Amino acid sequence: MVGRDRVGLGWRPELAAGILANLDRIDLVEVIADDYVGAGRRALRALRTLGIQVPLVLHGVSLGLASAAPVDGRRLDALARVVGAVEPQAWSEHPAFMRGGGLELGHLAAPPRRAATLDGLVANVARAWAIAGSAPALENVATLIDPPGSDCDEPAWLADAIAFTGAELLLDLHNLYANAVNFGFDARAALARLPLSRVRFVHLAGGAWIGAHDGERRRLDDHRHDVPPSVFRLLTDLAARAPHPLTVILERDGDYPTIEHLLAELDRARDALAVGRARAAA
Amino acid sequence: MSAALEAYLARLYLDTDARRAFTADPRAAASRAGLQPADIAALERIDRVGLELTARSLQAKHLSHSRRRWFPRLLARWRRP
Repeated sequence: MVGRDRVGLGWRPELAAGILANLDRIDLVEVIADDYVGAGRRALRALRTLGIQVPLVLHGVSLGLASAAPVDGRRLDALARVVGAVEPQAWSEHPAFMRGGGLELGHLAAPPRRAATLDGLVANVARAWAIAGSAPALENVATLIDPPGSDCDEPAWLADAIAFTGAELLLDLHNLYANAVNFGFDARAALARLPLSRVRFVHLAGGAWIGAHDGERRRLDDHRHDVPPSVFRLLTDLAARAPHPLTVILERDGDYPTIEHLLAELDRARDALAVGRARAAA
Repeated sequence: MSAALEAYLARLYLDTDARRAFTADPRAAASRAGLQPADIAALERIDRVGLELTARSLQAKHLSHSRRRWFPRLLARWRRP
């Protein structure tokens, strides 16, 4: 394997000072690209400067690539402007839909997992690739609802999405875990069925259980809690199987703990990676 | 996914009245939306717990976004000549 695994943190204004004070313990940062859509030259220059100090990747959260509708041209142009100005090491988006019939969901929704959805995704990724100059890595999404109209399971659909788009898979292990516990499948078995040779980026996060009126509980990927042990175990499994160096990013979007607490989570991720790599080498 | 199904799912997730009508009679509500028979059949088997929790989660996110945006809106109004 050429290169080494890296572990970094999602860049958030609330964490900025702590990140900058600890760059010796943070291999890279991931910036939400949409926060810079419409930003002026000065803000983009500042972001580019940050990318000189620490390796930087961009993460998009609003294109809605898994849609029958062509991705919004203005939205895509604006995102491509950020990618062009910042020149990140990579950028990513989601195979999800965000809007329909003039309504904005305001969050990622899992599309029906079927062939027809793949057609829209393939066309939209090709468009994004052409306009941004590079393909986005595609991140698997968490869902509270078993997507209506699906005719295949998540690993099969994701494998096809990666094969047909030519994109890489940004594997969010908490999303995989949440879907597994919500819909009763084995996350480790699902992981083994994913195209792991196409995984170079990984997300870690935490979540919480929420209850429906009938008492049934599901796991919400809220990025406001610590990474659960099961997700670190999935990271070890992934490191044991993935042939390429992995870049692991911890996402935190609220109820911010101290930077020391987050750095300890990064260390746990490094330990999980090391155990997996050792298992692969044995 | 068809554009019609996307639009209908977005309505189901966001619109309480549409969701109530759908829950009462999924086939009739989905038929009125002009969906294909296969999509109507799929919606009749919808994961109802997931529908309730998705709607609640999206509503919470909308509230949180609108709370977060009050200051920029105020600023924009103040700056307007």
